[in-house]
Amino acid sequence: MTATTTVSTTGAFRAIRRRRNARALVVTCALTLAVGALFVLTMMVGSFQLTAGEVIASVLHLREDPSVDFVVRGLRLPTAAAALAVGLALGAAGTIFQQLLRNPLASPDFVGINSGAGLAAITGIVLLQAGGLAVSALALAGAIVAALLMYVLAWRDGVAGYRFILIGIGAALFFDGLIGYMLTRARLNDAQQAMHWLTGSVGQADAAELRLLLAAVAVLLPVALLLQRQLRGLELGDDAARALGVRTELSRAGLLATAVVLTALAVAVAGPMIFVALVAGPIANRLLGPATGGIVPAALVGATLVLVADLVAVHLLPTPLPTGVVTGAVGAPYLLWLLATTNRQGAGG
Amino acid sequence: MSSSTSLGRRASALGPGLALLCVLLALIAFLSVTLGSRSIGLPEVLSALGSMDADASFNSTVTLELRVPRTLIGILAGAALGVAGAILQGVTRNPLADTGIMGINSGAAVCVVFAITVLGVRGAGVYVWFAFAGAIAALVLVYAIASLGREGATPVKLALAGAAVTAGLASVTTGVVMTNVDALNELRFWQVGSLAGRYAPILAGVAPFLILGLIASLAFGRTLNGLALGEDLARGLGQHVTRTRVAAFVVVAVLAGAATAACGPIVFVGLVVPHVARFLCGPDYRWILPYSMLLSPIVLLLADVLGRVVVAPDELQVGVVLGVLGAPAFVAIVRYGRMSEA
Amino acid sequence: MRAWRPILAFAALSVVLAGCGSAETGGNAAGTGTAAASAAPAGPWQFTDGSGKVVKADKTPTRIIAHAGEAAALMSFGLKPVGIYADESVKTDANLKDLDLTGIEILGEEWGKIDVEKAAALRPDLIVGDWWPAEKAYSGLEEGADEKSKKLTELAPIVGVAQGKSIVALAKGYEDLAKSLGAKVDAPEIVAHKKRFEEAVTAFKEAVAAKPGLTAAAMLPADDKLYVANPEYAPELLDFQNWGLKVINPDSPDPGFPYWENLSWENADKYQPDLVLYDGRSYKPTSNDEWGKKQPTWFKVKAAKAGAVVSWPAYWLHTYEDFATELESLTAAVKAADENIGD
Repeated sequence: MTATTTVSTTGAFRAIRRRRNARALVVTCALTLAVGALFVLTMMVGSFQLTAGEVIASVLHLREDPSVDFVVRGLRLPTAAAALAVGLALGAAGTIFQQLLRNPLASPDFVGINSGAGLAAITGIVLLQAGGLAVSALALAGAIVAALLMYVLAWRDGVAGYRFILIGIGAALFFDGLIGYMLTRARLNDAQQAMHWLTGSVGQADAAELRLLLAAVAVLLPVALLLQRQLRGLELGDDAARALGVRTELSRAGLLATAVVLTALAVAVAGPMIFVALVAGPIANRLLGPATGGIVPAALVGATLVLVADLVAVHLLPTPLPTGVVTGAVGAPYLLWLLATTNRQGAGG
Repeated sequence: MSSSTSLGRRASALGPGLALLCVLLALIAFLSVTLGSRSIGLPEVLSALGSMDADASFNSTVTLELRVPRTLIGILAGAALGVAGAILQGVTRNPLADTGIMGINSGAAVCVVFAITVLGVRGAGVYVWFAFAGAIAALVLVYAIASLGREGATPVKLALAGAAVTAGLASVTTGVVMTNVDALNELRFWQVGSLAGRYAPILAGVAPFLILGLIASLAFGRTLNGLALGEDLARGLGQHVTRTRVAAFVVVAVLAGAATAACGPIVFVGLVVPHVARFLCGPDYRWILPYSMLLSPIVLLLADVLGRVVVAPDELQVGVVLGVLGAPAFVAIVRYGRMSEA
Repeated sequence: MRAWRPILAFAALSVVLAGCGSAETGGNAAGTGTAAASAAPAGPWQFTDGSGKVVKADKTPTRIIAHAGEAAALMSFGLKPVGIYADESVKTDANLKDLDLTGIEILGEEWGKIDVEKAAALRPDLIVGDWWPAEKAYSGLEEGADEKSKKLTELAPIVGVAQGKSIVALAKGYEDLAKSLGAKVDAPEIVAHKKRFEEAVTAFKEAVAAKPGLTAAAMLPADDKLYVANPEYAPELLDFQNWGLKVINPDSPDPGFPYWENLSWENADKYQPDLVLYDGRSYKPTSNDEWGKKQPTWFKVKAAKAGAVVSWPAYWLHTYEDFATELESLTAAVKAADENIGD
């Protein structure tokens, strides 16, 4: 009697899991295709209209045409690659934060990580006249310090989600105040560079920063996937996870570190582009249905968002604007809607 | 009955405390008039204050036309932000409510920048209205959004809605400002709360609103005490909860809007000072409000004087000093404050 | 080191222009705007630029892309560039706002943002931008500019005259460059411009010599501070000093940014010149009165109170013509000034 029920429930579970996995696979593949298509599309439009064939041939070195190669490989590929990498990194980092803190509102852009990175970078630009990799290094250091600071401040017998978020908001206000001070200290020329940087734009990256981010995404995304098993454990709640033998705090720290590094490098390349990290995870979850929480789909959604925002910002608007203005203008209403509809668990953590 | 006896008991200690704060405020105001990037001897400051003749010498111009208006703006704006914070915390029964954190100050600031740069509005008397509009719009938006859902306006939701509104506004402002360098310059000046460069015309533009708002705010003591018992009990005591809330929000918007129009967005004063006031005089808003009204300008002027001294001859904006001092206090409130987790 | 550029280099977002180039790069050179240069000598061509680099070409370049002021300099000698990149809108740029730019492609109207794709379509054979010795970079391509913009230099060789201690030298440098590119520098209208400039200098010298006690200070009032320019880093102010005008050298310029000394408004009376040279990039006829109302101590600068304020062409001059116009207004102001007001 008991045996038969066990068998039948196991069978039902299996069926559900199979259906879930199938949906996850379909969604992931579709997203990959969409990202690939957008990636090619961004390289087709501009002062020269190119065909998809020309772009692909040039990127893969299939055909040699100096003028097309100059435009595609020299000018458009770095921007497109930056948009792709920034989107992947922010999408992955956002969903990791949200799952770790069990709160859809906890994304690095709202808990002070971006502001910390921004403050360090702006200080470098304004006071030290830094440029290139030095700005990246400063942003990374700023993000890590901000994350550590918040982790320490929010830690009291473990890190409760709501406390981390509130302290993050306080820290963000604090950093933003100092950023404002730096801007008033700046020469107008520097201020404009700093403002541009602060809003987030994928067109500004220099080759070294970009290579660093691409390498980080290539290494850290698989690391994040490996850690996802533990992440699943953590999702059950600290007590349950402890019972599963996961050393919770250590895993949390490791995951946070991965997400912080991804965020910081993305911020270094494109500035603190807001809302991408916040919305990528929830959108991916909506697409995935019951199989929520995939890092890869969230990263792909992030890449889609940034590529689209860049297309809109640079080509559709009457005057080209930094990409971050578009993500911000679209993201803020989304966040407000999210706030208006979250349930008790969502708000309280 | 019991509340009035406790009030009587407390009054014996709290009344003199209030007088002491007045003396302290006067002292700091005097310090603020005496200190600056130009060193002016005490006798000269006194004679300038005595004669009230700004054209007598360069030093009396600096004293009377630069430092006195700046100090007065600091006092009024500080009082306004402290009282606005106290009222908000009372009305929303939320220890994290603050005009800065809820995005009200940045709503007002964005509207001021918009009015100055895009519409070409000049004169504090005119753009203060834009500040009111921005403040009330941000307040209503943030509160409405945070209150949706079953559990109502929790601290986290209020803070996040404030952050979202601030970030969204910042995005739009940047979009406008990037295309216009004059506007960028103006924004840089307004982005950080500061008392520098704020003189008589700005004072004249905002002082009437601030003074009216401050007087009106003192009438809220009893109703806030009622609300503190919970909405149902307050209703039972015969209060019009909704009417109170609307009136309180209007006063908060006037205070925060005018203060922001005078010195830009300043965070943390309105958050921290009411907590200190509550610590000093207990849960009675009839005392919390006047204490906040005196403590806040003391804190603000102290921060301003500190900002002038620490990096002299340069100046740290008061908003930055308060940010540095206020952030730890905020963290302490979050960590140790008895805040409902939801 | 962008910081070594003067502050307030106004810039604006670029405006999307109708009509883009085509990817098909035929060998046909019949583009727009080459009429003046088509008479250029066939070459070979070479030029030693401000960085000391010698640039050589088999053919004299005819399709030039130039930075804003440099383009104005070339145009004053009858050479029309095919493309211009500027740091601000070409409608407000001090060098370009009065020029007829029809037929010239605008490649950028914001510092650090150049549409290199569009530039490539113009098939330039020379890029012209000032050389900034302190930053070791050409105009618009300094540290902090978009990486994409810097690819402009891959399209063609870049040359520029060094920004140094004198606008006269800079104008002369562009005269030499224009001459090497085949401009007819002895054409009557060009000679007339130079003559007008020389006359303006003579008149200026005479006016200054007639008022030996006159002092001037270059200033810029701002919301938070009063800035006093350091002539050491302003070539036109050095020229004025060479011609006899006593432009005050501020005694403690900002160490991090020695273009200016920053005075807090409480110390606005520190320098008392007889004539205020007001930064021309933000000067309007109403500026002086506006600041008098806004800042109680601005009129404690006695020359400002007396209205002895004149626009100073800060950091932008490139041509004899513009310099002549500015000098004429300065000469009038010097003549009208009271040499005892600041004492």
